[in-house]
Parts: sequence; structure tokens; C-alpha cells
Amino acid sequence: MALPNPAPARLRRLSYAALLIGATVNAQAPPSPDPSAVRWDGSAEVSGYHDSDHVTVFTPAARARARTPSGWSASGGYLIDIVSAASVDIVSTASPRWTEVRHAANLGAGYDDGVTGLAATGVASMEPDYVSWSAGLQLSRAFADKHARLSLGYGYQRNIAGRTGTPFAVYALRSDRHTVDARLELVLGPATTLTPGLDVMFESGRQEKPYRWLPVFDDETADRVPPGASIELVDRLRLPGRMAERLPDRRRRVAASARLAHRFRRSTLVLWERAYADGWGMLANTTDARWVFDVAPRLSVWPALRLHNQSAVTFWRRAYVGRFQDGRVDVPSFRTGDREHGRLWTATLGAGVAVEPARDSRLSLQLDGAYTEFPDTLYIDHRWATFVVAGFSTRFR
Amino acid sequence: MARCLPAVIAVALLSAGCARVAPYARGRLAHPSMDPSADQGPGRAGLHAVQEGAIGGVGTRTSGCGCN
Repeated sequence: MALPNPAPARLRRLSYAALLIGATVNAQAPPSPDPSAVRWDGSAEVSGYHDSDHVTVFTPAARARARTPSGWSASGGYLIDIVSAASVDIVSTASPRWTEVRHAANLGAGYDDGVTGLAATGVASMEPDYVSWSAGLQLSRAFADKHARLSLGYGYQRNIAGRTGTPFAVYALRSDRHTVDARLELVLGPATTLTPGLDVMFESGRQEKPYRWLPVFDDETADRVPPGASIELVDRLRLPGRMAERLPDRRRRVAASARLAHRFRRSTLVLWERAYADGWGMLANTTDARWVFDVAPRLSVWPALRLHNQSAVTFWRRAYVGRFQDGRVDVPSFRTGDREHGRLWTATLGAGVAVEPARDSRLSLQLDGAYTEFPDTLYIDHRWATFVVAGFSTRFR
Repeated sequence: MARCLPAVIAVALLSAGCARVAPYARGRLAHPSMDPSADQGPGRAGLHAVQEGAIGGVGTRTSGCGCN
């Protein structure tokens, strides 16, 4: 007599158990997102910068945004800049290393129904000797069956520069900036967008830095001051005393840009180009590229490149000439020692990695190395810099 | 006419380059890496604003600072 095979009964019991477990898991699974719930986006980043001119910056920042299904949104952000500097410009004026903290906060509100959008933003920034606040309004409208989206914006910024320990009522340099910008996002194909843009800025007021004092040379020695001349050489050749920086009160700036983004099967290429000109005679172009590769379903890596090249403002001089007349020194009306007003080029190479530990959460890290050359400045003729930024972002309902 | 030529060429290229893309075919356009807001965070934006004489072109509003 053949014994009964227990396998079918065991299989049946296993099937019941599997069904029971499945039912339990289903009962415990989180409900699908409620489409009527408010959607939250949050992000935080910490960045650090250090360069060969002994400047270190540490910047933690956080931002959050809430969006309702009807299209309304509100956002807020906060960042702190902790700057420690003993740059050659500081050392050359016999000043010690200083550390300063800047707080910046922003608030925004907007509405976007997918076709028409309106957004308002406000930003305030505070340092012991500098206060800045700005407000902006942006209107956008999609057309051509959402193959194009036109954005128009206006922004106003007010800056007040002073001296630490001196009330702004006693000493302050005030300046304003009005910005008008237009951007057109075009869908060129199922994986390509192109966004040309134009920014026009009108600045007025006192833009010089209160602490910036420049050496002055006489006619004969000015030509003998080479690019990158050391502090010792400058001190040996310059005239007694220093003059304060002085900039023109008005500046018009124009920046034309284009962003091209293409999504390949497993990578994304983003190219950005900017051409810039201003009323002080500066011309510049900037190229930024990033190619993000998906190396695993939740892991991406990318190389990044940024090239920036600019000419000097028309009143830039490596060595300003002062002339003694009637017991006083006659100096040029406009003069600056800010290297960012001079001729320079910068090449930045970077690499980044991002992981998604959970759905709608992302951790990223990018490390950059930059080299800047200053062909026509005092004290230094180049600068090496490293910049690292770690970020986290999440979204939930 | 020579002055208008670049603009004419740009418009012609854009017109020729635009293709109709149905809503259901826009999955790749919606990929997070295509989002302009992923281009740079506040730390990087501040760094570029301080170290480059040129500004603008990124479509975000920041506050000024006495950083340099």
C-alpha cells in the first residue's frame, strides 16, 4: 500500500500562510498619497570653500516649500556664511585676520496652475557692516500646448555698506539695483529643452568697499610695478599713504544666457552659456557643463566644468598714479583694487555623486577644484581654490 | 540686415528644432536632473557672485553681500 504524499497538503498550508501574510502586509502598507494633501519639499546643504589666498567660507543652508493641489505655494530659506580671511589685501593694509558671519533669509509665495504662474520673493541679508534686502516678482505663462514657457521678472535690491562698530546713521554707502529679466523655456523634443534668457540690471549709488585702500605710485615707478608684485615691493615703491576705492555711481549690466538640457537613455547633459557686458567696459563669458550618469537605479555620478573669462573695467590700473599738486595728491577719479573688476579667467573642474536612499529623498556630494589667473593685479597673480558641497533633499505629503 | 542675421538664424533654427511632444511622451523631460533648480545651490551661487565680475543669467534672486 502506497503512503499518501504529504507534499500537496503542505503546499496548501504554505499557500494559505502566504495569502495571510500578503493580506497582513497589504493591510499595513501605507495608503497611497492623498492627491488633496499639501506637498512639502525640503532641502539642506553645507558647503565649504578654501583658497590659496587664505580665505575660508563655511555655509550651511536650508530651504522648505509647501504646495497645495490647487497651485498655491509658500517657501522659506535660511543660510549662514561664516567667512574667515587673512587674504593678501588684508595683510597688505597691516590688518589682522578677521572672521565675519552673514545671515540671509528668504520668503516666497506663489501660484501656478500649470499654465500661468505668479511668484513673489523677498530676501534679507545681514552682516555687522553690510545690510541688503531685495524683493522680486515673476510672471510666467505656458503656451503652444506647453511647448514653450515665457517668464518675465522684476527685482529690486537695496544695499547698505558701513563700518563695523559705526552706526549706519553715521556712515553708510547706499546703492540700489533694479533687475528686469526674461526667460523662454522651449521643448525642442521628447528629451531636450532650450532656455534662452536675458537679464538687464541698473545699478546706482556707492558700490565701493569702505575697507579697501589702494597704494598710489608716482609716474616713474608705476610702470616698474610688475603683475603679482609682493607686499614688500609695493611698499617700497608706493607713495606715502593710501587712497580709498572709488567707483562710478551708475552701472548698467546685460547678461544673455542659454541653457540646453538633454536627457539621454541613462544620462543627462546640461550646458549653460552666458555672455555679459556692462557700462564699466567689462565683457565676460561663462560656460558651465554637467553630465550626470545613472550608474545604478538610485546612484548617479557626474563630472562638471566651468570656465569664466572676463576683461577689466575701463578704469582698472594695476598701479594707479598720483601726482602732488599744491600740497595734495591728485589721483584718478575712479579707482579699484577689487580683482573681480580686473582681467581674470577661472577654470573649475568638479565631480559629484548622488544617491537616493529612499523614494523622494536624495543625498549628494560635489567636490570642485578651481584655478584663477589674474594677469594684471598686485600681490597675487593666481589663486587655487577648493569647494565642497553636501546636500540632502526630500519631498513628502 | 547683417545685424539681424544672427537673430534670423536663431529663430529659424529654433523653429526647425521644435518638435511636437505629446504629454505622455514627456517622461524624460520630467527627470529631476533636467530641472534648472538642480544646477546650483545657494553656496555655489554665492561663490560665483563674489568671484566673477559678471552676474545674471541664472534666473534666481539673491541678496547682496559685502563678501569681497
